[in-house]
Amino acid sequence: MLWRKMLRDILGNKGSYLACLVLVLIGLVVFTAFSILSDNLRLSKEEFYTGQNFADGFVELTTMPQRHVETLSRIDGISHLSGRLVREVRLYAPQRQESVYLRLVSLDLTDPGRVNDALLLSGAELTGGALNAWIDNKFFEANGLELGQSLQVIAGGRLHELTLTGVGMSPEFTYPLRDLKEFYPNPEQFGIAFVPLEDMSTLFPDTRDRVNDLVFTLEAGADFDRVKELLEPELEQYGLRAIYPREDQLSHVMLTEEINGINSMSKALPLLFLFIAGIILYIMLKRLVEQQRGQIGLLKAFGYTNREVVVHYLSYALVVGSIGGLIGGSLGILLATPMTNLLFVFFNVPPVYTGFSLYYLVTGLLLSVSIFLFAGYHGCKDALKLKPAEAMRPPAPPFSGKSLLERVGFFWGMLTIQGMMAVRNLSRNLGRSVFLFLGIMISCAVVAMTWSFNDMVDKLVFYQFEEVETYDAKLILNLPAERKAVARELEKLPEVMRAEPMLEVPVALSHKWLEEDVLLLGITADSTFYNILDKRSNRIVPEKDGLILSERLAQKLDVQKGDSLDFGSPLFRLAKDQQVKVVEIIPQYLGMNAYMELSAVEGMLRQGKLATSFLLSVRGDTDETVGHNISTLRDRYRESDFVAGVDGREERFRQTRELMETFGSVIYLYVFIGVITGFSIIYSSSFIILSERSRELASMMVLGMTPREVFSVITFEQWFISFFAILAGIPLAQMMQWGFAMEMSTDMYTIPGELTLQSLFVAPLITGLSIWLAQRFVLSKIEKLSLIDVLKTRE
Amino acid sequence: MTNPLIVAKNVEKSYQMGEVIVYALRGVDFTLYEKELVVVLGPSGSGKSTLLNIIGGMDTASAGELFYGELALHEAGSKELTFYRRNEVGFIFQFYNLMPNLTAYENINLSVQIAKNPLQIDELLTQVGLSDRRDHFPAQLSGGEQQRVAIARGLAKNPSMLLCDEPTGSLDLASGIQVLKLLRSFCQNYHKTVVIITHNTSIRHMADRVVYLKDGRVDKVEKNENPISAEKVTW
Ligand SMILES: Nc1ncnc2c1ncn2[C@@H]1O[C@H](COP(=O)(O)OP(=O)(O)OP(=O)(O)O)[C@@H](O)[C@H]1O
Ligand SMILES: [Mg+2]
Repeated sequence: MLWRKMLRDILGNKGSYLACLVLVLIGLVVFTAFSILSDNLRLSKEEFYTGQNFADGFVELTTMPQRHVETLSRIDGISHLSGRLVREVRLYAPQRQESVYLRLVSLDLTDPGRVNDALLLSGAELTGGALNAWIDNKFFEANGLELGQSLQVIAGGRLHELTLTGVGMSPEFTYPLRDLKEFYPNPEQFGIAFVPLEDMSTLFPDTRDRVNDLVFTLEAGADFDRVKELLEPELEQYGLRAIYPREDQLSHVMLTEEINGINSMSKALPLLFLFIAGIILYIMLKRLVEQQRGQIGLLKAFGYTNREVVVHYLSYALVVGSIGGLIGGSLGILLATPMTNLLFVFFNVPPVYTGFSLYYLVTGLLLSVSIFLFAGYHGCKDALKLKPAEAMRPPAPPFSGKSLLERVGFFWGMLTIQGMMAVRNLSRNLGRSVFLFLGIMISCAVVAMTWSFNDMVDKLVFYQFEEVETYDAKLILNLPAERKAVARELEKLPEVMRAEPMLEVPVALSHKWLEEDVLLLGITADSTFYNILDKRSNRIVPEKDGLILSERLAQKLDVQKGDSLDFGSPLFRLAKDQQVKVVEIIPQYLGMNAYMELSAVEGMLRQGKLATSFLLSVRGDTDETVGHNISTLRDRYRESDFVAGVDGREERFRQTRELMETFGSVIYLYVFIGVITGFSIIYSSSFIILSERSRELASMMVLGMTPREVFSVITFEQWFISFFAILAGIPLAQMMQWGFAMEMSTDMYTIPGELTLQSLFVAPLITGLSIWLAQRFVLSKIEKLSLIDVLKTRE
Repeated sequence: MTNPLIVAKNVEKSYQMGEVIVYALRGVDFTLYEKELVVVLGPSGSGKSTLLNIIGGMDTASAGELFYGELALHEAGSKELTFYRRNEVGFIFQFYNLMPNLTAYENINLSVQIAKNPLQIDELLTQVGLSDRRDHFPAQLSGGEQQRVAIARGLAKNPSMLLCDEPTGSLDLASGIQVLKLLRSFCQNYHKTVVIITHNTSIRHMADRVVYLKDGRVDKVEKNENPISAEKVTW
């Protein structure tokens, strides 16, 4: 019988229970789907890593004889060490506008225990000496290649035909970026080819029996830093460029961060949703118990025990919690696989699916039910205290004295009667008002932060490609070259108007015990193509012998303007004894670099007047003619061994933007969360108000007020709170943004911690809109309010 | 006799309850005149409240015609009914239905705000004898006092009629008489029509006319040539 009463109660108030249910549902969908998703990713990653013997350590060298690999692998702590040749080549594809690059990674076919082995997905084994290759699956798909087809590559100054015998993938390239300035993999223009080691010497005759890259696994319990110390002296003579652990490997970092992000999202989001749902349920049950004191008294008078009464009210919580839990959990499980597939579009890992997970279904269910029982118990425990006789009497009238606001005479005088009612209601239900306030505040903050974040990402790309880099094209050399001669040569070309040299040198900077390997950009003092900008976007002229650091780099090295740094360059075998002063610290959003005046870099390196790349302005009045001239330029050097490539700025700008837009859509998930939160809070709070004050509202309508006028009493109250909540949401958003920026920033990109102006408009607007929308439902409910039914009964 | 205010012709009200149709009114013919005080009597379930609600524009008839002057209430939409209630009707209920978080003054003001030519709030409060309680909340007033505030609120917007559904239902004799006196005096001083539904047959003596309802029909109408004053009513 009581079950039937409960069901009718729920149906009679289905709006609020539905809001609760939807929140639980979303919470659990996110919980199960994201948990499984993160499990899938982690499992896939681990299996891939073990299966392909993923390296614990990575070494980049200039060049080293292959026979030395054997000796190195005997170093204490190293389990297996593979020597490889890694070289980037350009694809010869005259029909294509943009440059296409392949990174050739050698596989030593004689080594059975290869580290970072490629996994063959389809096709045949490699044969040494046949100039064949496995191509990475993303590149393969993106370019519509076929097995058996040949790719023409420019290597060692000559055109070679590389036959594709297979499609493969490697744990080293789960998130392959051509260089650190890119955000996202671009498989159309950058791919990996796995080539037998001996074929490499056909492509690059100067590399016979030599390697330039080492990867190694550690023995169980071995310490990377210890091994690094042992390796370093051995490699010094071979031009050691970098040696780093797996934790710093790009693809690994990206993949691991993604998994961690999803993992923490799988916990934080559902808790947020369940928390809000729990509070709503708490308020509703508290309200229900107050409303039904007469019924409770009656039940008790019949002889129902306290326990039975509480169980009755808890059954509301149980029903909503378990229905939401079951449906949400199942939906989450269903969604997990498509969501995993979506992520595997971005991360190149052979997918492993955990599939149906009873564990998460049960945990999710337990989680939602226990939160609800907790909230429910606190909501209805007042029913316990009631004695039957007391319960059947109406409750003591709520104290309705003057509220604090009334004492502000000026403010009070401005209010209509509806406004006065609203303000008094606020103080009458202080707890509820606080909840409404917090909910709207969070909702607004989430939207503002998300929006801001999105704007920021946009802005930083724009900043980099419009304000900092202003050249038309960048010509990258394979090896440093004498700059005057090359510049003169370039400026003779009909496409080029002006060429500006640039020197990009990997350097090791150290301060106290801190050390960072970064790329030092040597820029001419009067450069018009690369602007070093300070915080206020004023151009800084690099001083003769001062170093300029990006903010993040300065932070990592713990240096202030005016401090001195130790400066070394493994590439140029420069001992780390030079000192250089930091003259400026500037914001940099893409990448993390140090800057110096070009000739000052030369002074430090003592290698003559060199350049590694040239920034060009290209002839042409429109983007189109410039683009055309850039491809002509590219054609010129298509077969050159001297030029590594020509990058068009416009093109990179556009590509980065496009890619960002696809990825940016993920961010709307958060906006959605903000909207749902705001909506459900207003929605359920309105329904509570509606059931609680239906009598008052009906009386007003009897007086001849229109539904809209009656409605305005409720909305005034909500807008009043929301106004302040939204205001408070902005500083909260700012705090969240700072935290988020700190959390998200990497050496590849720095997210500024500010809110954008636009988000300050958009967030209140979106929050307001979701409030407005929720209120529409209430209005229609008021219009349908039956005056007679409400007024017939005694309160 | 004065002009008719409300004319009901064969008004029916029925409710569909699953398979069966329940009739609350089975064809009521009835005219309400200006400036009169009418008492409606009848056994429980005879349709008194239903009729009053329909007259007051809170509910609509299922069949029949109902006119307020030119306005056909049986055809009116919810918007017209709202404005009809707003401008022409004051309601008084057994359970006062005051806004708990508004003071006596503010409760009356609530209805003044939406009225076309409202009466003076303070004057009304004096007339209902509550000028010293103007800033008290309903919880601080007795039942009789609350009912007097409700009457003042009903009257404040200066309606053509005051419809009262068991206004003395939960009051003791003394407070009941006070309320009845007020209703009578408003009928006389402001020339308004007052309809009182009651179970208390002795109240009929103060009415100009008494309408008896039975089984959803008007059983009989009695005219009272010499209504007694409210003080003399006893129960
Ligand atoms: N919403 C409804 N649904 C079904 N029947 C209803 C409804 N409202 C009223 N009725 C029926 O209509 C009839 C008349 O009801 P009404 O409230 O008008 O009686 P009443 O004369 O005011 O009685 P009382 O003196 O007890 O207040 C009753 O038989 C009642 O059962
Ligand atoms: Mg009745």
